[in-house]
Amino acid sequence: MPDDGWHDLMPLADLRRGWVTRAVLGTRALAVYDTPSGLFASAALCTHGGADLCDGYFDGHLIECPLHQGAFDVRTGAAIGAPVTRALKTFPARVDGDRVQIRLT
Amino acid sequence: MANPIITPLTQALAENRLTRDELRALMQRRNGPALWRLAVWAVIIALTGTLIWAAWNSWLIWPAMFVHGVVLVHFFSLQHECVHYTVFRTRWLNDLVGNVCGAVIILPHQFFRYEHCDHHTHTQIDGDDPEMVPMPQTWGQYALYLSAIPYWCTKITELLRHAAGRLSVAERRFTPKSAEAVVIREARWMLAGYVALFAAMAISGVWAPLWFWLIPLALGEPVMRFIRMTEHVGRPKVAQMSDNTRTSLVSFPMRFLAWNMNYHAEHHYVASVPFHALPRLHEKLRGHVHVEPGGYIGAHRDIVAQLRNAG
Repeated sequence: MPDDGWHDLMPLADLRRGWVTRAVLGTRALAVYDTPSGLFASAALCTHGGADLCDGYFDGHLIECPLHQGAFDVRTGAAIGAPVTRALKTFPARVDGDRVQIRLT
Repeated sequence: MANPIITPLTQALAENRLTRDELRALMQRRNGPALWRLAVWAVIIALTGTLIWAAWNSWLIWPAMFVHGVVLVHFFSLQHECVHYTVFRTRWLNDLVGNVCGAVIILPHQFFRYEHCDHHTHTQIDGDDPEMVPMPQTWGQYALYLSAIPYWCTKITELLRHAAGRLSVAERRFTPKSAEAVVIREARWMLAGYVALFAAMAISGVWAPLWFWLIPLALGEPVMRFIRMTEHVGRPKVAQMSDNTRTSLVSFPMRFLAWNMNYHAEHHYVASVPFHALPRLHEKLRGHVHVEPGGYIGAHRDIVAQLRNAG
């Protein structure tokens, strides 16, 4: 593990621009969001029904679950649209050279 | 690693029915198509309402109210699309229009949203799907469902129960605890609105809302029941979405009124795809979902054939 807590997640070339990209780090399934205000990352599964948010609709800073259209703000993980009520676990994300990195907290 | 639940969309991606790029293109939302449709929708309502006015003092008012009612009950289709946030790109517009639709057809929007989410989770599974319409076992059951009498009894009882502050055990399963107060509050507002409407009609002696809205709604609801039956009734009671849901190919006017919800199997596959992209999704999933080429009538032919065979 790197000293500063940042982990390489994927090549920058694999990042889907303006959209959500699925990634796996160890045993964690993660969603990486390319937003107008930079990169954000969260756990990949919806806190309501467990669907994969990487298959969902993404717009700006909103990720919407593909199963029930519950919504989260990817900057904070806050649940912002029913039926989701619990926040998503989020992680800091950044670009370092040609790699996307996240810091597990 | 926790695994995602298997959704129809997960399956479609895994089976290469759709690529992620295609999915992304299909899911794109816009306000324009819905605003255009709403404008035409308003003109249609004005025209069918004018039919009632023109037929006043004649027996023709009854067929006129029926035609107007058929349009009004399709507020359900628009509300359903709003439940999925796929009418407008602007999210709050979906809430606003969905609530207006719910007020028109006496279907509180938030509660419908929670119930409908559960329908998508447990589609066509006995005892779990809260919107399941059972396959009729007798001609009497078939006719009774199409009369819409059981529908209205259920919905009005539901509204009164929620307004009284009570949710059933089944409803508590799909309504988050934190949302129960919302469901109760919206039922109270809706009930208060309807009580105020009737009081205003009685006091003013102006009964136009009855003739231009509520009676047509009651006359048109059997048509919506006829359409709703085509979505799942008679399909296998299995979780496999390619089997348990039916798409009906219908004429342009009916597609327009239904906000393309006749592409029901495709909608269940990817509920995040907006109404205007469903015909394109239909092409992508051709051969993979159950399609009834004979439209709503063809779907009922299938239901009736099963009813005959069961008897």
